[in-house]
Order: sequence, then C-alpha cells, then structure tokens
Amino acid sequence: MTDVERAAAPSRRRILVVDDSALVRLYYRDTLQKAGFEVEQAINGIEAMEKVLAQPFDLAIVDVNMPRMDGFSFLRTLRRSAADVATLPALVITTEAGEQDLDAARAAGANFYLIKPVSQQDLLRHAAVLSGAPP
Amino acid sequence: MAGSEAHGPRAVRVTPEDVRRLCEFLYRRTGMLFDDNKRYYIDRRLVERIGATKSESFQAYFAVLRSDADHEIEQLINAFTVNETYFNREEHQLRCMTSDLLGNVIRGKRPGESIRIWSIPCSTGEEPYSIAIWLMENWRLVDSYNIEIVGSDIDTRALKVAAEGIYGERALMRLSRDVIGRYFQPVADGEHQIDPGLRESIQFTRANLIDPSEMARYRGFDIVFCRNVLIYFDDSSRRIAAENLYDCLGAGGYICLGHSETMSRISPLFRVCRFSDAIVYQRPEADHDGR
Repeated sequence: MTDVERAAAPSRRRILVVDDSALVRLYYRDTLQKAGFEVEQAINGIEAMEKVLAQPFDLAIVDVNMPRMDGFSFLRTLRRSAADVATLPALVITTEAGEQDLDAARAAGANFYLIKPVSQQDLLRHAAVLSGAPP
Repeated sequence: MAGSEAHGPRAVRVTPEDVRRLCEFLYRRTGMLFDDNKRYYIDRRLVERIGATKSESFQAYFAVLRSDADHEIEQLINAFTVNETYFNREEHQLRCMTSDLLGNVIRGKRPGESIRIWSIPCSTGEEPYSIAIWLMENWRLVDSYNIEIVGSDIDTRALKVAAEGIYGERALMRLSRDVIGRYFQPVADGEHQIDPGLRESIQFTRANLIDPSEMARYRGFDIVFCRNVLIYFDDSSRRIAAENLYDCLGAGGYICLGHSETMSRISPLFRVCRFSDAIVYQRPEADHDGR
C-alpha cells in the first residue's frame, strides 16, 4: 500500500495471523487482504509476542498447535502483559473441536473460537466484528 | 555465449566414440539414456562443457569429469536437463488432486496432521508453486491440515531459479490476472516474483530418482507428481526409479505421471486408479508383496 492509499484508509484494521504453516498463513492473509485488512504474520507464539509488543494491532488470529510456543501459551502471556496489548482481541482457530478445547481457549483468553476448515466468509465476518472494522 | 564460441573454428572435435563414452557415463550417473537420434543435442552440450572447462580435448575433459573437479558432474547434468515448463501445465491432474485424491488421503488422517506432496522433478519450480496456489484457490480444507510441499530436481541450477521464483509472462500464461496479482510481485523487465510467503511454503531439495541412498531421505509422501522424466530412462532405470518412488510413498499414496507415460508397463507394484480427471497410480494400502 502506498502512503496515499494509507492516508485515504485511516480505518484500515491491522491483523496478526499466527500459524506455523506457511500455506495457512498465506491463505488467511490473502483472504483478509482482499477484503482490505492489513496483515502481519508470525510463525509461533514467541514471534507473535515480539510483534505485538512492537506494533499496534486490532486483532490476533491464532492457531493452537505450534512449535516452541503454542497458541494458548501465547494468549496467557498476552493477557498478563501491559494494559495496551493485554486487551488485544484474539480469534482462536484450531482443528480441535472438543468441548474441553473450547473451555481451554476461553480460559487462555480467546474472545472467539473457530474450528478449521474456516470458510473465507466466516473468517472475514469474525475478523471484521472482533477487530471493530467499520461495516 | 559458450555455445557460439564452442562452435567456432577452434572448437574441440568430438568423435562418435567420445559421445558413446559420455552417454555411458551419464547413464550410470543419472539413468538418463541418450541415443543416436539425440546426437546433435548431446554434441552441442558436450562441446559447450569442454569449452567452459577450457579442456583441450575430449580426453582432457573426461578426466575433469571423472575427477569431478569443480563439481563438473553436476554442471554436466545441469546442461543435459530440460527445464521449460509453465504454471498449471497439467490442470486436469491438479483438479484430480482436489476432487478425488485428497479426499482419500485425509480418510486416514486427523485434522492438523501433515499431508505431504512431492514434485519431482520440479525443474524451475512452476509445478510445486502451481500445486500450492491451486490448493489455496480450490481446496476447502486447505487450513485443516499441515500441507508440506517439497520440490526436488537433479539440476541444482534449476533449483536455484525455483527458490528465487522469478518468471516471465510465458510461464504465467495459464494464470488469471487476479491470481498473478495476489501471489506474485512485479519485478524488473516485465517479470514476476512469487510472493515471499509462498516461496517459504515450498521446500526445494536436490534428488536423483535412481539413487536409492538419496531417495531413502524421502518417505511418507501422500501424493507425488513425477511427470515427463521416466521417458528419458531406459527400461531398467525406469524400473529402479519406479521402485524408489514406490518406497517414497506412504501406504495408499498416489503418483501422477506425464500424460504419455504409464506405470503399468514399468512396474507391477502400483494399482491403477481411473478418476474422471486423470489416471493415477496408487501404492496399495496393504502391500501385497511383503515390501
């Protein structure tokens, strides 16, 4: 995006996509960018934490099973951080569909929980609501 | 260009016997068989390599080759491989992958598990990138599995191009403007470079189909695309390659060949599967031969 475009779109929401699969990151990024979101990526919880502390975001979309630091550990760390990042909305996306997985996501601090496969429509709808994007 | 210089008046002459020795050497190393009707093709490349290594005669060059000074074996193999292809070249096989093969592959897997796809030979990368783009555009479950795509080739020069991912208009002719806009970035001279995120999603490695020790590093693939390489092999190399590929597949894994190729005459190990978009070959779920 050029500076002119950025100035023309002050409400453009920034989303951090956290997933260890390059193809999944790319798929979510492409879907979100087509709809006008600005997207950053991280490959695990550690990289996500570094990015969240360094740049402002409106939403984190977080996979659960990742090497080094998984999605739940990332969310727990995030929720214990300084006030301005601790409240970052988080959408957890995972392959685990059990009742206890949902409870674990809530307990870790997820605002919402989707089970893969996530359709482009569902992804965009929840990303818009959770990031507070204007309709 | 080395070729034009090599064809000049000072070019080293090669005899039919020289060519025969070289072909025998290439065959032992790669399984690729070049017969007399490819004589012009062989002569040109051989003369180029003799020129490039500043060898004074075929004998001098052959000594360089056999000692593998400056990786000459690799250079020679690179000169002999054909690397012209384009994106979505065999679209019917990509369609077969998403409409039939993957549905069977995931039957034995839990969401989140790996699906391993191999493009060998991958040449300059068009095929593995096509597979990745096709999956993102056409497979509803693309985010439900950990998809690993590996591109392998014997030609290290082609692999370097693949990893850089820069292509001209011709290679992209089958892709829509929309797809090009989303997965490529324009670079100089009207060329396009694959998005860094997409480049990251493919692992490029060198592999020689007829070398069992090299092939032993590759196991558990669910789908293998191996197109238009077995045609370069003679019967015995073809069978060795087929058996190596069989061992690289997981039980129930599929292999897609080029449209002029058939596994049936090469090896009895595979099961023929006729889908609406393509004929593919399967390593049976339960091995019948105790392998």
